[in-house]
Amino acid sequence: MTREETLNELKKVIAPYTVNKEMLAGINDQTDLIRDLKINSANLVDIIIDAEAKYDIEIDYDSADKMTNVGSCLDVITEKINQK
Amino acid sequence: MISTGNDIVALKAINVARTKQQNFYSKIITDSEKALYDEQFSDGLPFEQFIWLAWSVKESVFKYLQRIDPELVFSPSKIKVIELAVPSAKSLSHFEGRDFNEQTVYKGIVDFSPHTFYSRTIISDDFIFSVVSHTNNFERVLWGIKKIDSTDADDQSKAVRVFALAMLNTLFPGTQLEIDKNSHSCPIILKNEVETPVPISLAHHDQYVAYSFQISP
Repeated sequence: MTREETLNELKKVIAPYTVNKEMLAGINDQTDLIRDLKINSANLVDIIIDAEAKYDIEIDYDSADKMTNVGSCLDVITEKINQK
Repeated sequence: MISTGNDIVALKAINVARTKQQNFYSKIITDSEKALYDEQFSDGLPFEQFIWLAWSVKESVFKYLQRIDPELVFSPSKIKVIELAVPSAKSLSHFEGRDFNEQTVYKGIVDFSPHTFYSRTIISDDFIFSVVSHTNNFERVLWGIKKIDSTDADDQSKAVRVFALAMLNTLFPGTQLEIDKNSHSCPIILKNEVETPVPISLAHHDQYVAYSFQISP
């Protein structure tokens, strides 16, 4: 899966938790999940769980802690897919 | 440096079934916290409320320290609730005040090595609200919880500022106070456009907004 394909799937994972659909369509590596997409921190675990299901991966504590912006989410997901 | 941290969780916005799933709650609490719940609280406190209590305390600790260390990463698994005392009474008579009625709050001790924090949590039918402090004395902590009409993030942000400023203006009458964010996105109180040393923490979730701040002796 290319980084762009992973990004497109990640948009679907994030979509239920943001009302900022315009910004979601144009997200990039620097887009912050809380500050830019206005995702409530209480939903960050939902996103991690949904990403685990979507990509059939397991995201450990330390990796989950890094998932604060789109770029770090893609890095963690790519790393876990490659470890399968 | 003295700081403050608070968080609020709107109970109608949480997914109870999902919260109880092991793959979900294990991202929030550690094995030792699960054991604490099983040994002491499984009879009286619904598990999902324990999970979100733990979350709100951990988020509060993160907010407290992020003001001091802007590069800090939020790591729920490294912030551990090591003691928790249940309230002897459950009635909540007011949603704003200074200090807490010790009979109506959950009192916690939280380890985030090398730091130790103390927490106060109110659980109502509608929300879970936590504040943390570096001491077990909350006499200098002011806090407030309010239900608003909108769940829009921008509306929540505006509403919580108006709410907190109303309390600040009663404490410091005649001064021109504003709430802004610093370069690290931490809320700050400005007096005549200059940052004050009064730390403030803001929170919102669904229809609830909340604040805490710590005043000097």
